[in-house]
Amino acid sequence: MCGIAGIVGTNQSPSSRAEAVNQMNAAMLHRGPDEQGVFSCNTVSLGNRRLAIFDPDNGHQPMSSADGRYTLVFNGAIYNFEELRAELDPPGPGWQTQCDTEVLLAALIHWGESALPKLRGMFAFAFWDNQTQELLLARDPFGIKPFYYHWGIDGGVTFASELEALFASNQIAREIDPSSINSYLAYFSVPAPKTIYRRVRCLQPGYCAKWKAGKLNLNQYWDLQPENIVRNDVCATYEEFVPKLRSQLEDSVRAHAVSDVRVGAFLSGGLDSSGIAAMLERQSGQKLATFTLGFGEAGFAEQDLARDTAQFIGTDHHEFQLTGDEVANRLPDILARMDQPTGDGINTYFVSRFAAQAGVKVVLSGLGGDEIFGGYPSFRHVPKLMRYLKWWHRLPVSVRKMIIARMRRQGEGRSQKLADFLEHTRDLHEIASLQRMVFAEPSRMALLSKDARGLAERSGPFHPLTDDFGSELQNTGVMRTVSAWEMRTYMTDVLLSDSDVFSMANSIELRTPFVDSPLVRWLWQQPEEFVYTPGRTKGALADAMTDYLPSATRERPKIGFTLPFALWMRGPLRDFLETAFSKSSLGNCPWLDARAVRSLWDDYMQHNNARNWSRVWSLAMLVSFANRHRSS
Amino acid sequence: MKTLLFAPEVFRGDGGIARILRGYLHALLESKADENDTVGLIVLNDTQECFQNMPSYLSGDTITPLVGSNRSKLHFIFSALRHAFTTDRIICGHIHLAPIARVIKWFRPRLSYYIVAHGIEVWRPYSALERRALLNATRIICVSEFTRRQMLRFLPELDPARLIVIPNTLDPDFSLPPDLPTRNIDKDLRLLTVSRLSTADNYKGVDTLIEAMSQILKRHPNATLQIVGSGDDSPRWQELATNSGSAEAISFMGRLSDKELREVYSRCDIFALPSLKEGFGLVYLEAMSFGKPCIAARAGGAPEAVTEEVGALIEYNNVDEIADACIRLAQHSPKPALVRAYLEQFYFSHFKRRLSGALTH
Repeated sequence: MCGIAGIVGTNQSPSSRAEAVNQMNAAMLHRGPDEQGVFSCNTVSLGNRRLAIFDPDNGHQPMSSADGRYTLVFNGAIYNFEELRAELDPPGPGWQTQCDTEVLLAALIHWGESALPKLRGMFAFAFWDNQTQELLLARDPFGIKPFYYHWGIDGGVTFASELEALFASNQIAREIDPSSINSYLAYFSVPAPKTIYRRVRCLQPGYCAKWKAGKLNLNQYWDLQPENIVRNDVCATYEEFVPKLRSQLEDSVRAHAVSDVRVGAFLSGGLDSSGIAAMLERQSGQKLATFTLGFGEAGFAEQDLARDTAQFIGTDHHEFQLTGDEVANRLPDILARMDQPTGDGINTYFVSRFAAQAGVKVVLSGLGGDEIFGGYPSFRHVPKLMRYLKWWHRLPVSVRKMIIARMRRQGEGRSQKLADFLEHTRDLHEIASLQRMVFAEPSRMALLSKDARGLAERSGPFHPLTDDFGSELQNTGVMRTVSAWEMRTYMTDVLLSDSDVFSMANSIELRTPFVDSPLVRWLWQQPEEFVYTPGRTKGALADAMTDYLPSATRERPKIGFTLPFALWMRGPLRDFLETAFSKSSLGNCPWLDARAVRSLWDDYMQHNNARNWSRVWSLAMLVSFANRHRSS
Repeated sequence: MKTLLFAPEVFRGDGGIARILRGYLHALLESKADENDTVGLIVLNDTQECFQNMPSYLSGDTITPLVGSNRSKLHFIFSALRHAFTTDRIICGHIHLAPIARVIKWFRPRLSYYIVAHGIEVWRPYSALERRALLNATRIICVSEFTRRQMLRFLPELDPARLIVIPNTLDPDFSLPPDLPTRNIDKDLRLLTVSRLSTADNYKGVDTLIEAMSQILKRHPNATLQIVGSGDDSPRWQELATNSGSAEAISFMGRLSDKELREVYSRCDIFALPSLKEGFGLVYLEAMSFGKPCIAARAGGAPEAVTEEVGALIEYNNVDEIADACIRLAQHSPKPALVRAYLEQFYFSHFKRRLSGALTH
């Protein structure tokens, strides 16, 4: 787990390029406080900041092959590096380290780009071949590790693990992209491959890019196409499936726990994080450190459940009481760490900070369980909408238009979102694409300035990946399609992105055993009704955790991890929000309609509409981000 | 073997589908094994007069029957039914014509029929008639893998093995220019786009190309953009060009004859059509036949015609990326001979072989 940076093929002298990479490294100190390094030659400079997890005394980066032909900078962890090492011939002088970086380097030398699907883990890397003058850039299948880049008009590419590091190179103008604002209002994130900034791209999960002589070729190396799923272990009955699922999960937790430093776990009290912690505790043979956020506010007592579960499992449990005042105090730091605006991730920031203070460097999280085992309401709503849609399209167009117009008149809320579905969607993918929308289309348009609205109208109502994903997932079942959409959109663009930024802000390596390529591919070959048990939310996961967890934890309905923001926004965070929605602050957001935004805030305060808090908060994050961006 | 080609338009218009179906007709005629083989053509929109001006590589005498329905659906259906009962296979050049083939197959179960799927006309849910026609077709010929996947998306009951991809080929009348001169692009970068400018085709990305000109002009002050094509939306694009501040660099050429079109292709430096919904994009092949690098959006079937090797792929609707791609290509332009070599895979000879293989299996 580290941060990487690099510049290739720009019209700069090698020394100024190396200096720029040094500055980029310096901007990522928090990602890798243990050491840093830069490799430079005529065409390329590669940099790395290291958080040493495997073989801390060796495994320095950038790492070059013995003959000096190949060089690698790598951010992440390859969990199957021991297995890969057994498959590979040792390099000339023999294996020099006990580190995954050396194995990844050898794998890339041996297999080239074909090594990518063999990797189990989270990664973003750059691999330079000095002989062919080619640079291979790659990101893991789920987008756990970030990879941002800028392809300049001179053909050169500048890349880094963080946007701030990219700008530290002084190669790129920092300009907010007005066309990304509509995406942010729709999803509270900017879907990859776009970012909040103009001319800065994000390498999509499961993609690699090859740079050579000013050209950059993108290629998808990992997908969920049914024809690419090997069906060599299909379970015939649910009774056969459950123990196999359990052993797959145990295997994933075991793989994700590989480390030469202390490993802990986040524990929210829900099924996902509790299951991971319980398996890890049993496997490690020593007392596991678990971490929970607690709140004093009534109705937010998830810490009690976490405490009970920790007691049952027998962990060394740490509980941290988070208050609104503490959030308000840390907000400047949180905003400074934000690569892109987000309305989420505050909990990860604090729980990571807490774990770092307790001396833990690696933590396992239950992130991904809801997406993979069907924990979200979308797994119920989308199939229902699919059924209704068939009948809806049989109505005469004039009747449909009349109903939609009536729904549109009812203001922001569920009816607006339903109107979006009825007006636009034609198939499963279009429903799945719209179901994560936060502001319905008319509300979004009302919040945008005239110019930004024009750009938004051009891009259409759907998620930008709708057609590509529709192609990739054709002939995939309904529940599995919803799962893939949840993984590729909300999980990648919001959860994983925020988790990386806010855990790394505290020099913590966050690992996600559910978000595991072998596990997902194994689940993808099983009958859908086994994985997404009808009538029981995450029933398969609960059944696989029998005897790991008390039945109260296994059968507890999903509540969702919620911070008491609606209360704090009227108390300790109110000053911050008043400043964010002030005239001068909104004046720095030319792509927003200041009056519409202000009236949303006023309306929230007047009507005490607690359900609306996340919309208001996320808008405040966007406005504050823009103001910070302007001042920098 | 008696073959009938049903087409919406072949010689009356100059649109992409008409040009592609000329290629189909040409390939069918050239693939005749002996004198007993016949190829017939029934066209919905063409008139009998349209057949007087056939290109030189086609001869009306060899096409039997040869029927133009002059936009009369009734006439088309009547002609189709009349001739279909003595035919062995039907090729439907458009999905809208496929239900007729399905009805004929009811009466003649041994008839095989094929449907050509081009682009946006099949990227949607299907009517009950279309579904039946698609599910009973012998094969569906898709112009791109993207189109194939979209069909499977909207009709998952289709057997994937019956959907085959045959990329488009150049209009056989579009002979390859013998010379491929290289030109030093200094400041007068010449950009070209060819597109219908109608409201229904507002996804072609011509607007973003116009907007990108102001950025391109900063780097290449004498750069020009020629827009070839006509349509009801033309005044809006002209107004956009005027408001963009780059009006002097942008010229609207209207609709051009084939000869004039070849002239503008040969004079340009970069061809750009950053469209969202190209089934394949025949115009890219035309530009590449002149050795010109192409800019296309990473959307629809366009990435199957254009690669980074011979041009640039950009995100649809991203003005910055279009401008950057133009400037980069001006500096690192692929050699015309390389572009032409890449084009070889789409030559008519390959197309004819692929089509013949698809129809005989």
